[in-house]
Amino acid sequence: MSTQFGKLCSLILLEHFGEIVQKVGNDLYKCQAKPLSLIVNSTKLPLQKVKQALRVMVKYGFVTFAPGPVPNRAVYTLLPEKVILILRYPRYLLLVKTQYGDEAEMLVEEILRQGQDTASRVIIRAVSRLKESLKEEKVCLVTLRDKFATLVNKQFLMRCPSPGEETGVPVLTIKETLLYLPPDLNLKALSNIEEGKSGDAGDEGIYWRVNLDRFHQDFRDQIMVSAISRRLDDNAGELLRHLLKQMYLRTEAWAATSNPIPFTELREAVRKQSSHPLLGQYVDQYLKIMEEDSSGFISKVGDSSGGQYSINMKTAFIQLTWTTIENIVMERFGSKAARIFRLVRAKKFVEQEQIQQVAMIPAKEAKLLTYRLLEENFIQMQELRKSLSNNVPNKTFFLFHIDLNQVARMVLEMCYKALFNAMTRREHERSENRRMIEKQQRIESITLNMREQGATPEQLAEIEEMLTPPEQALIDKVRTMINRLSEAELQLDETMFILQLYLIYQL
Amino acid sequence: MTSNEKGGSIPNGEEASGSGSNVEHRIIALARSSTKGISDKDIQTEIPDLRPDQRASIINKLLAQGYFDLFNQGGTLLYKLKDPSRVQKVKGADNEEKIVYSIIEEAGNKGIWIRDIRYKSNLMPTQLNKILKILENKKLIKAVKSVSASKKKVYMLYNLEPDRSVTGGAWYCDQDFEAEFVDVLNQQCYRYLQQLQENTKDCKGGPIAARNISYASSKDVWKYISELGISRVQLSVEDMETILDTLLYDGKVERSISTDGTHLYRAIESLLPPPGIVRIPCGVCPSQSCHGMKEKCHNLERDSNLRLRVLRSGTLPLSYRDHLAKGLELSFHTGDSVIEYCP
Repeated sequence: MSTQFGKLCSLILLEHFGEIVQKVGNDLYKCQAKPLSLIVNSTKLPLQKVKQALRVMVKYGFVTFAPGPVPNRAVYTLLPEKVILILRYPRYLLLVKTQYGDEAEMLVEEILRQGQDTASRVIIRAVSRLKESLKEEKVCLVTLRDKFATLVNKQFLMRCPSPGEETGVPVLTIKETLLYLPPDLNLKALSNIEEGKSGDAGDEGIYWRVNLDRFHQDFRDQIMVSAISRRLDDNAGELLRHLLKQMYLRTEAWAATSNPIPFTELREAVRKQSSHPLLGQYVDQYLKIMEEDSSGFISKVGDSSGGQYSINMKTAFIQLTWTTIENIVMERFGSKAARIFRLVRAKKFVEQEQIQQVAMIPAKEAKLLTYRLLEENFIQMQELRKSLSNNVPNKTFFLFHIDLNQVARMVLEMCYKALFNAMTRREHERSENRRMIEKQQRIESITLNMREQGATPEQLAEIEEMLTPPEQALIDKVRTMINRLSEAELQLDETMFILQLYLIYQL
Repeated sequence: MTSNEKGGSIPNGEEASGSGSNVEHRIIALARSSTKGISDKDIQTEIPDLRPDQRASIINKLLAQGYFDLFNQGGTLLYKLKDPSRVQKVKGADNEEKIVYSIIEEAGNKGIWIRDIRYKSNLMPTQLNKILKILENKKLIKAVKSVSASKKKVYMLYNLEPDRSVTGGAWYCDQDFEAEFVDVLNQQCYRYLQQLQENTKDCKGGPIAARNISYASSKDVWKYISELGISRVQLSVEDMETILDTLLYDGKVERSISTDGTHLYRAIESLLPPPGIVRIPCGVCPSQSCHGMKEKCHNLERDSNLRLRVLRSGTLPLSYRDHLAKGLELSFHTGDSVIEYCP
């Protein structure tokens, strides 16, 4: 909860929801929890607007409310970590698209847009959008309903809690069994609504939202599998995927260490697949290699039923965080500095003298790099005195070490800042060239209209010439810049994801 | 010089009587036969007719001439014959020189600093300087510059090879660390291990066999480097291990210990590609005071920088780009809410 984080949240709220929501968000960020009247007071906004902003943020899950000290008055709390997840939405959609196809993607996108909605409304909207994009007359409602049910079964979607019977500030609750219960939709009524007639789909009052944790779980697995594939080979990656599948059968998804997975079951699972023939042959050997690898993703915990293996999520993310930070040091300060950084990591506590000897770097350069790392807080220094009295001349040892937790938090902070910078710059580029971009869009829409009306190629060329070559060049340049910055934002998010997971596992 | 000649030379330099020099001979012979040194009692049993006062004067004479070292062991005095070659060297020197010489001698091939000599010998600095100069001129001692502190000179006997801690071993040339040499070796070792790693692709014997092929012991690497002939000094296997350890800290190789206790190395790939943050200028920007890239960002002005980084990271898959575009258009409307229970 830093200033930088606050600035980032504020910018995201501004970009997607406008000024009023941003102001309310800023105000809530500064304090733990606040009742409505105080927000109105400090933001100097009309009551109605604040209410609306809060409503929007509650709907998207950015703000929660709870009974406050004054009876029947709710206090509101902002969840900033939920706000910055907006940046990850494109990745969620990509995941759904690759795993469950276009229809599923459309459904998730519609829910993400609304924050929460009923199944029938989501499906109706998805139908109309699919019609638009595919130019098809008939979109099968049954497929969409089934996709919806699959997503619910796979726990990508979940029911929103609803208020109970109590008076005053409502408490949102939901029964565990209902959480992932697929909706029972009246297809007949649904098709009636779709055709513009009125009907009751039978799910009024049941709202759905996207279960982001489930997506994060998939991202986490992807990262681990690709790391193992990089380190060993694709077969090993595939094996880890099977291990993870087996893990979900018997362990809670976010546990630090999975319960033991018996070798026999794993072998059965691997035998059923056919994409990696070599893997089936050498399951035991791959397990042994993965277990002995320095990454420590899995470990052997027993010998019964052919060997028991467990996945160490926590260790894995400690390793991945180390790798990330080492890579950052490498890019920021050069490979010699990365060598020093890894050396300090391996030796835990080490003196300057020893660093330059073991790292084989000339004394002067080694000192320079070590102190630069120290200055930028990638490594820490511990003073060790033989006695604490000041009047006795004594030798003091200066030992360097790394506090991973602290460094990870610092790098995360750097990410927030970089993200903020990239977003600001992107907006700046866009607003600087607003006139030009609008002109181009206008021309494009005219061309489109003309083409539909059957204009001749000469006419079309004439319209396109309204944009002079230098203007065209400028637009191209701005567009590449904006694209690149947006791309950078997504890539930054990947770094942030690893660091955030590390911190979550540390708790 | 053989010991016989030396034994013979003793009486010539003496003014002692014939019988006295005879006794000296016998005592020296006795001392030579015993490596542990001899005590008064040994002399008494060897030469029973020697009077204690005679014995004392002869021993004193031999001590003064530097033939014997005197040791105190468990309350009894032991006389031990000095190394004949050393005796020769300090011959003709005065007492101070002898003391300084013996202090330097004690330091062995690690050498000793002039201040430590002063403390041990209790000599005045000027006098000590003079003595050191004399000894140096006689080629009895030499001054060697230490690598740990370039201005610090250490003294040691002339014929000694300086210790690695003084010269820095194979990596130093005239007190200068040969960074380039180390870098070249570092690269060559990595290349060797990488080749091994690539060989595993054709391996049909299963993953464990493949992994075992990719391992190389420090001795293998040492042999390879020696055969390459890039080093003009003879490197030891330990030298090779220090180089391999730098690769370990570069994160390029992995080290494990084989069953017989030697170290094995193999090339490995990092777990993750370069993280997203370093692909944008802010990730590597040293500026701490930057307030967004709105105003002026030198990294962005130099457009090439950004392009370079994005190119190196590889471009995103196409579908990702589609989503990116979509994500940006994904706008939220602050329209009417469906939640009625919000007060």
